[in-house]
Amino acid sequence: MKTMTYLMSIAFAGLLVGCAATMPPPELVSAREAYQQASTGQAAQLVPAELHKAQEALTLAEKAFQDDPKSFRTRDLAYVADRKAKMAEALATTAAGNAAKAKADKEYQASQTEIVKNSAEQLAVEQKARVEAERKTAEAEANLATLAAVKEEARGLVITLSGSVLFASNKSELLPAAQDRLKQVTDALLATKERRLTIEGHTDALGSSSHNLKLSQDRAESVRSFMISRGYPGELIRAQGMGEDKPVAGNTNAEERANNRRVEIIVDRDTSNQGSMTK
Amino acid sequence: MRHVHIATWAGSMLLAAVMAGCGSSPAVDREASTSAIRAAEESGASKVPSASLYLQLAKEGLESAKVLADQGDKEEAESMLERAQADGELAVALSRGDADRTEATQAIERVRKLRQDNQLPQERK
Repeated sequence: MKTMTYLMSIAFAGLLVGCAATMPPPELVSAREAYQQASTGQAAQLVPAELHKAQEALTLAEKAFQDDPKSFRTRDLAYVADRKAKMAEALATTAAGNAAKAKADKEYQASQTEIVKNSAEQLAVEQKARVEAERKTAEAEANLATLAAVKEEARGLVITLSGSVLFASNKSELLPAAQDRLKQVTDALLATKERRLTIEGHTDALGSSSHNLKLSQDRAESVRSFMISRGYPGELIRAQGMGEDKPVAGNTNAEERANNRRVEIIVDRDTSNQGSMTK
Repeated sequence: MRHVHIATWAGSMLLAAVMAGCGSSPAVDREASTSAIRAAEESGASKVPSASLYLQLAKEGLESAKVLADQGDKEEAESMLERAQADGELAVALSRGDADRTEATQAIERVRKLRQDNQLPQERK
């Protein structure tokens, strides 16, 4: 029995020794893993020549392992194969980076072209819009000239509507005929860029100045309300009663007094309100 | 007299051969490995973490090869030089790859910023 146990122990030890002899060195294990990783990555596609060199190096190492598993040459060949596999992977990563850079450079140039093109198109659109706006303004001013007296002054474009056309004597409610005229004036103003308006009410010198001031203010407010009802932005219209203080004629006869009874719509030349108002 | 000359010549040759065999280490060609190490250093491998390790291993391999050569192990020395060369070449590849990756990242970022600043839609990846 003892002899049997002894023989079995010897046989087991021999088996272990045999297995140990065929165990690959760590360099070869690492080289196999490195090649496996490189060959399943992008190296095969991007740097096939480098991957092939790694494969050849690994083949040499495997052959050396078959011939002499424990030799320094086997370990060194495996070490070199490991490095070549890692290099194939590194070069593949570099190639991918270079491709990404080339693509980005191309996109940069394309983007610059796109920006220039967009700018040119934007300029063309703005130019067209400007020309169209100027045309509408000229057209609107021409229309206004047929509806009321229009005059360029330092304070802006002044549209003068006769008070006797707009209101009954001593009243601030718009006459039906006046509404039609005022509607056309408002539509003409809306056709241009919407600008800040000042509506000034003026009276003749008959009656007390305080009464005239209130009457002119009420009349200016009536015109303002009407224009708002036609769609002109209220925040762009200011109504102001001037009373009898700014006559355009004397107050000695009926004709002169009729000229003084008026409503002036002053259109601001400044277009900075464009886009800032809400309807 | 002629015999004396021949014997002297033969003795000199033998002495030279013995001197060559014992007085210095066997000649090994270190050019490839030293070139790889120099290239790695010039590519800035020492400043790239992934490359600096292999540059160091290459230098150590070169030193080991010198020791082996001094001990007369020519074959082992030459084999070790192959290791050093492979490490040096890998260090070069990793070092240049790092620089290329940085350039690629910068190029991609440059495009992204240009498009963003000009309100263009970003390219799909």
